[in-house]
Amino acid sequence: MSTGPSTEHRALLADSVVDFATRGTDIARVRKLRGTSAEYDRTLWTKMAELGWLGILVPERYGGLGLGLTEMAIVARGLARGLAPEPLAGAAVLAASALVAADNEALKREQLPRLVAGQMLPALAWQEDAGGLDPSAIRASATPFEGGYKLNGVKRFIAGSAQADAFLVTARARDGIVLLWLPRETAGARLELETLADGRAFGTLELKDALAPKAQVAASGAAAAAALALAFDHANAIAAAELAGVMDRALEMSLDYLKTRVQFGKPIGSFQALQHRAVDLHIHKEVANAVLEESLAALDRRPAAAARAAAASRVKARCAEAALKITREAIQLHGAIGFTDDYDAGLYLKRALTLAAWLGGATWHRRRYLRLTAAAKGEGGREKGGAR
Amino acid sequence: MTDWNAMPDEDFRREVRAFVERDYPAQLRFILQRARWHEMKSWWGKLHARGWIAPNWPREHGGMGLDAGKMLIYFEEFERHGCARPPDQGITQVGPLIMRFGTEAQKAHYLPRTLSGECIWCQGYSEPNAGSDLASLQTAAVIDGDHFVVNGQKIWTSLADDATHIYLLVRTDKAAKQQQGISFLLVDLKTPGITLRPITNLAGHGEFCQVFFDNVRVPRDTLVGALNEGWTVAKALLGFERLGIGSPRRPQYALNRLEAVACAKGLLDDSGFADRFIALKLDIEDGAALYGRFVEQVKRGEPLGQDVSMLKIWTMETWQRLTELLIEAGAEQGVIAGVQEVAGVETDFLSPFYYARPATIYGGSSEIQRNILAKYVLKLPS
Repeated sequence: MSTGPSTEHRALLADSVVDFATRGTDIARVRKLRGTSAEYDRTLWTKMAELGWLGILVPERYGGLGLGLTEMAIVARGLARGLAPEPLAGAAVLAASALVAADNEALKREQLPRLVAGQMLPALAWQEDAGGLDPSAIRASATPFEGGYKLNGVKRFIAGSAQADAFLVTARARDGIVLLWLPRETAGARLELETLADGRAFGTLELKDALAPKAQVAASGAAAAAALALAFDHANAIAAAELAGVMDRALEMSLDYLKTRVQFGKPIGSFQALQHRAVDLHIHKEVANAVLEESLAALDRRPAAAARAAAASRVKARCAEAALKITREAIQLHGAIGFTDDYDAGLYLKRALTLAAWLGGATWHRRRYLRLTAAAKGEGGREKGGAR
Repeated sequence: MTDWNAMPDEDFRREVRAFVERDYPAQLRFILQRARWHEMKSWWGKLHARGWIAPNWPREHGGMGLDAGKMLIYFEEFERHGCARPPDQGITQVGPLIMRFGTEAQKAHYLPRTLSGECIWCQGYSEPNAGSDLASLQTAAVIDGDHFVVNGQKIWTSLADDATHIYLLVRTDKAAKQQQGISFLLVDLKTPGITLRPITNLAGHGEFCQVFFDNVRVPRDTLVGALNEGWTVAKALLGFERLGIGSPRRPQYALNRLEAVACAKGLLDDSGFADRFIALKLDIEDGAALYGRFVEQVKRGEPLGQDVSMLKIWTMETWQRLTELLIEAGAEQGVIAGVQEVAGVETDFLSPFYYARPATIYGGSSEIQRNILAKYVLKLPS
């Protein structure tokens, strides 16, 4: 159990999220932003910056708070409860972690304080059509040009990109992957948005001879690969926390409905068939909570890459599975009203869908977990197998 | 006498581990059925001689007086080593109930004999028409002078043929509302009029019995608690026992075997199988995280609530699915009785499957556990 200042800090953080969620955001606002080219609200983003949230994972020397994923998860989960579309996980976790882990010190000193202040919103552009989730399986090319690079290719599935000020782009150079900082207004860079199930967007970034001077090379080769791997794991853990926030609220709504909806002269929650379904959802939620707590604590102890990846995959798989189950069942437990756009249950299902698909679904992560842990197993099993 | 609670956790763990590794009979590690008294007698004797047979009992009654945290360590080390559960109902159930509700004479008589193994207890609760609905039990006890006269039958009485005594729920007031006319008796199985009939289970073992009572005269001083207050007595067991049932180590043997067989046969190269395997393995590991939260609660000295039922549902249902996949992994060999060799790995495929089957029935079925969670945790209407 954690004690001391961090417990106090976490309690304060949780209070500030509740306060923010009740005053700063509501579902009507979320509905208005669905499918718009704005995607989210920069004014609100600035308020989040003022609360210090954007700098939770940024070291103090770059103006951040230098806290851990446990703290970031408190904020992410609280915001996800209210379905806030602001790209906390995309910008303040995925892109921010990649930049923090990059090795261009001057770039970091310039951009990270601006990120923390909400003045500069970054998005990580690392995926492509064909490559899946392997950061090295990309075709976008970086050809040397006056000490920097000239970029060509198409990056896809960029989270939080609608109002992004800059992209961290991966491309293939002669001697490996490079991670490049590309301001949005860079000539030859064109962004298009595709609307997601939950009304947010993925960006597609088309690069035609876009120039990244030497000062914009964030990291190269092994350093770039390591930065991407870390960012991927951190963002998956926070996506898991968001899924937890989604399932919390979706299950609350379902339970409230079971207690108040009357059919056959009784609240439908008195029927055993529905009670048992509700119990199963509750158990899935509690298992997910337990794994989330344990995994965040493990990740905050900064384990080596393989253990970190295993922990991130475990928690993402569990939370994706549980949130999808709980939000799908929320529709069924509500009956026809659950299938209407007016009713909020569907919004939770759609958020769960997009969060689960983003950065790898449950099956993908379980397979990765199996690969990562297969090497580590051995003696224990054999020893116990010795007995009948 | 050592104050175990004052010992650092890791020292205590080491001591328990060393003891079970040295003294627990090797041939009884990870056995796949309930251990019988003749197998466990010498181990019981060693535990008793050391004063370790009753970790949960206070020291004044001859127990170890462990606090909850130390008790978890004790059980974790026993489970880790694959120690079978002896016929321990006297230690886990009836002993604590006698301490709480029994007379001084009952304590003086039964407690030392329960510790020594002279009294081996079995539980007379279920009846043919009172299973999940236990309060509808009909076995009757009528007062006749200094005795109760008991008539009726109990069923699913585990290891009754190993036991010397049975603790019994009987109806002493037929007019009262269900739960209110029940009393709790301690009965010597040698009393005339008692007949045992073993029942063979799916695994082919005679683990449980039917127990018939035909005008059995039981002394009145074997009544525990007040007359017609037996339900309160039986219900008084702590939630702590329910934590043990949901321990993630229960399915460990099946998981180890499944992993070994899957590796030996190259099954993990088949992505369909690998997906099912890793999902189950994570169900166990993630269930262990849930278990860990309840453990922390116990260590902080907080009582466990009704929500601990979810642990039993999750662990037992996952355990069953594991044993199902183990049989599938064995293919034709998976349905051959006894130990089979698969690519150099020795595995008993069927026994884990049978062993896990009643886990969702005993100790309150999964459905009853869900009812409990719906009512007390989710507060759904009835």
